[in-house]
Amino acid sequence: MRYNLIHSTLYEYKQPVSSYHSITCLCPRTTPNQILGDFSLIITPEPAELTERTDFFGNTVHYFSIQKPHKQLRVIARSHIESIFSNPELPIVKSVTCREAAVAFQTDIGLKNEVLQYLLPSPFVYWDEDIRRYARDCFPDDRPLFEAIKDFCGKIFREFTFDSKFSTVNTPIKTVLREKKGVCQDFSHLAIAGLRSLGFPARYVSGYLETLPPPGKKKLQGSDASHAWISAYIPDIGWCDFDPTNDVVPRERHLTTAWGRDYADVPPLKGILFSSGKQRLKVEVDVLPI
Amino acid sequence: MTITNTTLLQDYRLKVRSYDEVLDRNGALKPHWQLLFAALEKLGIKEVGVRNQEIITKLQENGVTYSVYESSDGLNRPWQLDPIPFLIHQSEWQEIARGLRQRAELLNLLLQDLYGPKTLVKEKVIPPELVYDNTGFLRACHDVKLAGRHQLVKYAVDMARGPDGRMWVLDNRTQAPSGAGYTLENRTVMSKVLPDLAENLFVRRLSPFYLSTQQALARNFGKGKDDLTIVYLTPGPNNETYFEHAYLAAYYGYILAQGDDLLVRGGFVWLKSIEGLRKVDIILRRIDDDFSDPLELRSDSRLGVPGLLHAIRMGKVAVINPPGTGVLENNAFMAFMHNTCRHLLGQELMLPSVATWWCGQGKELNFVLENLERLIIKRVNRHRENRSIYGHLLSAAQLEQLKREIRANPTQFVAQEEVSFSTTPAFVNGSIEPRFAALRAYLIGTENGYEVMPGGLTRSSPEAGRFTFSNQYGGISKDTWIVGDEVEHAQEHIVLPTSTQYRKASSLPSRSADNLFWVGRYGERVLATNAFINIVLNALNIHQNYGGQNEHIAWLLRSLTHLTLTYPGFVEDDGTESTLLANPIRELNDLVLNVKRAGTIASSVERFLRAIKSVRDQWNPEIWRAIDLVEGSLVRIKTLKKEQADHRAIQKDLDRLYSRMFTFYGTVSETMSRDNAYYLLKSGKLIERILSRVSVIRSSFAFRNPEYVENELLEALLNYHHLLGRFRNTYRSQISLSAALDMVLMEANSPYALAYQFDALGRCLDRLPGNHERLNNAQKAVLEASAKIKLIDVVELCEYEEESNFRKNLDELMSEITALTLTASESISNLYFSHVAIQSSFFGGGNPSDLHEI
Repeated sequence: MRYNLIHSTLYEYKQPVSSYHSITCLCPRTTPNQILGDFSLIITPEPAELTERTDFFGNTVHYFSIQKPHKQLRVIARSHIESIFSNPELPIVKSVTCREAAVAFQTDIGLKNEVLQYLLPSPFVYWDEDIRRYARDCFPDDRPLFEAIKDFCGKIFREFTFDSKFSTVNTPIKTVLREKKGVCQDFSHLAIAGLRSLGFPARYVSGYLETLPPPGKKKLQGSDASHAWISAYIPDIGWCDFDPTNDVVPRERHLTTAWGRDYADVPPLKGILFSSGKQRLKVEVDVLPI
Repeated sequence: MTITNTTLLQDYRLKVRSYDEVLDRNGALKPHWQLLFAALEKLGIKEVGVRNQEIITKLQENGVTYSVYESSDGLNRPWQLDPIPFLIHQSEWQEIARGLRQRAELLNLLLQDLYGPKTLVKEKVIPPELVYDNTGFLRACHDVKLAGRHQLVKYAVDMARGPDGRMWVLDNRTQAPSGAGYTLENRTVMSKVLPDLAENLFVRRLSPFYLSTQQALARNFGKGKDDLTIVYLTPGPNNETYFEHAYLAAYYGYILAQGDDLLVRGGFVWLKSIEGLRKVDIILRRIDDDFSDPLELRSDSRLGVPGLLHAIRMGKVAVINPPGTGVLENNAFMAFMHNTCRHLLGQELMLPSVATWWCGQGKELNFVLENLERLIIKRVNRHRENRSIYGHLLSAAQLEQLKREIRANPTQFVAQEEVSFSTTPAFVNGSIEPRFAALRAYLIGTENGYEVMPGGLTRSSPEAGRFTFSNQYGGISKDTWIVGDEVEHAQEHIVLPTSTQYRKASSLPSRSADNLFWVGRYGERVLATNAFINIVLNALNIHQNYGGQNEHIAWLLRSLTHLTLTYPGFVEDDGTESTLLANPIRELNDLVLNVKRAGTIASSVERFLRAIKSVRDQWNPEIWRAIDLVEGSLVRIKTLKKEQADHRAIQKDLDRLYSRMFTFYGTVSETMSRDNAYYLLKSGKLIERILSRVSVIRSSFAFRNPEYVENELLEALLNYHHLLGRFRNTYRSQISLSAALDMVLMEANSPYALAYQFDALGRCLDRLPGNHERLNNAQKAVLEASAKIKLIDVVELCEYEEESNFRKNLDELMSEITALTLTASESISNLYFSHVAIQSSFFGGGNPSDLHEI
């Protein structure tokens, strides 16, 4: 499948912003399952500087700064992605059991080096006994780890309500677990916390999901959204993606932008601005199959 | 009766309970300590006490402070210096220095490996937790690199002498090591107060090390430029070691700046100076790693510079040390130094360090749990709140609790052997006592490898038998002498800094300009208020002693309220006014003593001092001594307030404060070079002086009073303008308003006359940076005000309306002059001061893990 991706962010400020520094994480990665074609970042007003670099996790990030007063900032990222899944059927994965995996992560030093940072608490992912208990049932010792994670994501999918009004970036996982509400980011953080609490490495994936319009309806512009899911490390297989928000194993309709320990490592846009007023944000995303 | 004629040294030896610095391993006295004790003997212990007092005075005069975070009053603690130095012989020091250089090379390589290939982790020399479970490991810094061979440019090591007689490494400081400034000041004070102690000891000089630091920075990071802009980046006056930041910046001639004095544009870092933006080449930072760039590190940091990491990556600025170096301060590394050294350098460690066990390994964990009561337990990640736990101080229950904590999170703990370190002679309560001591050594990376400061900061424990030195807990510092048997030769002759060697930084940051202007304004506000209150108190005293009419006193009191803007005060037009006017002393006392009320003398002195301290690097030692006197007055004012002193006592201290402020002015005028800093201070002073005089003229004379009242007011006015004597000499007759106004407004050679002040202000503005072909708005306002004053007809000014007694012309003129002066003040502010907009971050998501205990 080929896609055109448009991620448009608009900031409107009450008071003029005199100086602005930003880092964006909007450029999709090339992975075994997808190839990034053209990518462009259009910023208005014209930035004084725009540079690209690769971050610690291998994501492509951009730094830009605007040095003249402005009351509106628009950042449009366009990418062309080819999504390649060699096997269109859902693979039945036979993996090591939970017990075997937990032992491997502790004893195989080479493996531990590779995944340790995804086993430890990170800025948004920390846990307590409640979170551990919530996850534990899904991971009996003899169960294949892949199956267990899939089941755990299914549990979150079944028991939680998607509610975009409920949480903010800073809502703690504990609150999400208590209220059983949130958005993809919360469900992903919760899933990661659950996995890490049991000694299984997991990371946060930011990206997009192509949504399908209701049957017979035309797709509306800007109706898509940026999305987040998780990736867990399974010995002998490697990193495998899971989407707790939709209870699916991500495939060609999931397009990966970046990954990190949690959201804090890969926010699409972060910045420091100098202004005294309030701001309003509007994000529009289109995932357009070609 | 027998007289025992013991010497200081014999006395001291009797007090030594454990291994001591004065003894070698065989228990024999070290010759250099014998020399020092001989010198002490010659002085006599009483004289040492006298000199100790001199040290205290000198440090206080020089404003050497160290603030303590916990102190509730926010006051600075004076720096403490022991008159007895810490001695190490040159021959031993050479060995130590070799070991220190090896440590530095090792940590430099380790640092590059941690942020680079991580071979040590891959080859299992260090466990991965030391990288990934290390709060000092900053992922954003993985591609932040300095040019040249050293990423670790500045490095400090804490050491103490272990039971085997060698110096042991206790700790590493790799982000922004503190203390090198205090070390220099300690040496300066010691050589002034106790030069006699160094006799025959051939103490090595410190200054070559500071010179090397300066040269290394310029050569390694200056890209061959001659005219480098080097910034000393401080968190600001609230930081515990701010004294040292200002001290070193002034010593090196670097620009002392805070984060919001800098900005990143086009990949470069710029200083907001009063001449405009100035490109920065090198930043010596004293802010912690994670605070240095809110864009990529702690988004809530207000101390850093957004985009700084970007600028370093672009190679446009060198930040020393580069952010990320704090990774090495993790306590767990101490457990792996031997293997790391073998692996990276192919050598054995030269300097021993304290045995350390990281609890993340099974065998080590068991050892620690079994021996907890004789170990020191530390968290691996440094945090202000994580203090070392001494196992032997814990109860059985506490030990069990600690064991549970360690078992639950073993990777978070290290344990260290509790070693008995050496004691060293210290001057305590008039005698020489053994105290534990630790030495902080300093290194700088130069093109020829690391150079070690021949000396360092020794701190001794305030209590006997305890091994804690942190300045936060009252440690006492010592000068550290590397002593030899002959004069060092082939040494450049560099003398210690004296006032004449204080170099002024080449550029004035806008924020400093702002503060200097306010030093002038608050300083003059103190003087003006002080002078006028004095006039009022004198009038009251005379009335109390001789009686007579007292209408003028009410007018003076009302003028005082207008002058200090402390409404309603004496001007409220109802019942309360008459009571206040009848019993003014309470309110008058409050106008002097109440620190919390804006407009009072206490509050203005406090603001004056706050502004002074925000530009600590601008003051030479002579000026600082004057500042210390003013600070003494503030302390006194606070005491008077507490004691509810009567107004006569208060008046005495007001007089003292008044002359102290003039001491400050005088020293400024005699010792400060005529640069932007000086002219800004002077502009502030003149603007405040004009405003304060105009206010009194207007409030006293806008309405005509009966002659007997007006005569008293005129005398007060002339007094307030320092013109009474001159007036009497000139006129020798009855005072008249027109003659007095003529003098007060138009006298060209009298510093308190308005015409003189506007001329002086105009000259200051002409000297400040700008386009000299056109007048700026401040100059225009001053020119207009000056012309208005000079063109008036005093007789017209004195005219009044018959019915209302209102002097319309006078009132209008004074109102216009006030408005023009305020315009000038605002224009100076717009022209030269930076107006920092509020910085906010978004989507960075804050630092959520700080809020939740895991």
